[in-house]
Amino acid sequence: MRWMKLTRLTRQSAMVAVLLIANSILAHAMAGKRTDLNGVWILLGSKTENLKLTPAGEKARAAYDYQKDDPDMRCIPASFTRIMHTPSPPIEVRQRQDSVEINYEFMDVRRRVPLKKGLAVKDAPYAVREHPNMGRSVGQYDGETLVIETAGQSPGVLDTLGVPGLYQSDQMRTVERYVPNGDMMQVTITHYDPVYFLQPLIVTYNYLRLPGGKILKWDCKPEEATYERFLPK
Amino acid sequence: MHRKLATAALIAATLFLSGGVGLAHHSVAANFDGSKALDVTGKVKEVAIRNPHSQITLEVTKPDGSVSEFFVEWSDKNALLRRTVPVSKIRVGDKVTINVSPSKRLPNLGYFRTATLPDGTVLKDCGFVAFRESVAKGTKITC
Repeated sequence: MRWMKLTRLTRQSAMVAVLLIANSILAHAMAGKRTDLNGVWILLGSKTENLKLTPAGEKARAAYDYQKDDPDMRCIPASFTRIMHTPSPPIEVRQRQDSVEINYEFMDVRRRVPLKKGLAVKDAPYAVREHPNMGRSVGQYDGETLVIETAGQSPGVLDTLGVPGLYQSDQMRTVERYVPNGDMMQVTITHYDPVYFLQPLIVTYNYLRLPGGKILKWDCKPEEATYERFLPK
Repeated sequence: MHRKLATAALIAATLFLSGGVGLAHHSVAANFDGSKALDVTGKVKEVAIRNPHSQITLEVTKPDGSVSEFFVEWSDKNALLRRTVPVSKIRVGDKVTINVSPSKRLPNLGYFRTATLPDGTVLKDCGFVAFRESVAKGTKITC
């Protein structure tokens, strides 16, 4: 038994070592790498951590039925967290002097984040004019990392894909960190919501730059998105 | 070259840590059994290449002579475009055989795997994972 534990420990250590070596190779090879976030990005993978739901969160998740409750099937973007879990449609980041544009191909969501110092989130304009349910955002830079704070989202479904059936309340606040790394970008979203989460929920996404990529029109129509189209008429 | 190799190494590490997203899509993972494959032969009634999912409708003739519809769900239009899948080769009126992952819930529904066209050509979709790899390597998508 002790031998098995040691073997497992050795295996885990070896895996960590492999990853550290890969990172080191990358650091050397990417000397002179791009440090901006501008560009079109495709999703490589995502990871959800710290998922500890309150009783209200557990109850809501247990009652979630994706065939009826998924806002995407009515062409309504549930949240930035949900949008970014969609594997194929890319996102675009455009850094401006006083704002950042983030354009999500999924559901044609065009987000504008002001970078005005001292601007409180509650005083910021809606991040997505067509979808006020997505709340208000303000951004700032921490070195090369873009940090976006968002609040004022409408209560409802938070995620239907990474962890289906997560809900958000109107008390939710999120902090997103966009970290550039050459042709890679890591985005971490920390969700603070005392109604549904016992501790901040952390979702991390890894992106790859899509050279020459463009955001295409999504043009979602509810009658083409609903699950009901397969059911006998 | 070094940069592409380094990116590929980091991608491998990233996928190892994050588990990837290949079959994570709600209506794919939840609705279809990716471990099974089923051949459905029929006449193409409709080809709707669109977002969020494309759909091919087949008219399938049963042994008793009656005709029923079978729906083939597929990737979104934009992804098929990026993956350069020659979707226009699937034509309305043609008799085709589409290999699908069957739905877990509905008997008349499956998710696209390949299509055998009237001339015997097999139309494949390399999928998002192959696309991602081709972007990382800076090569054309192949499968």
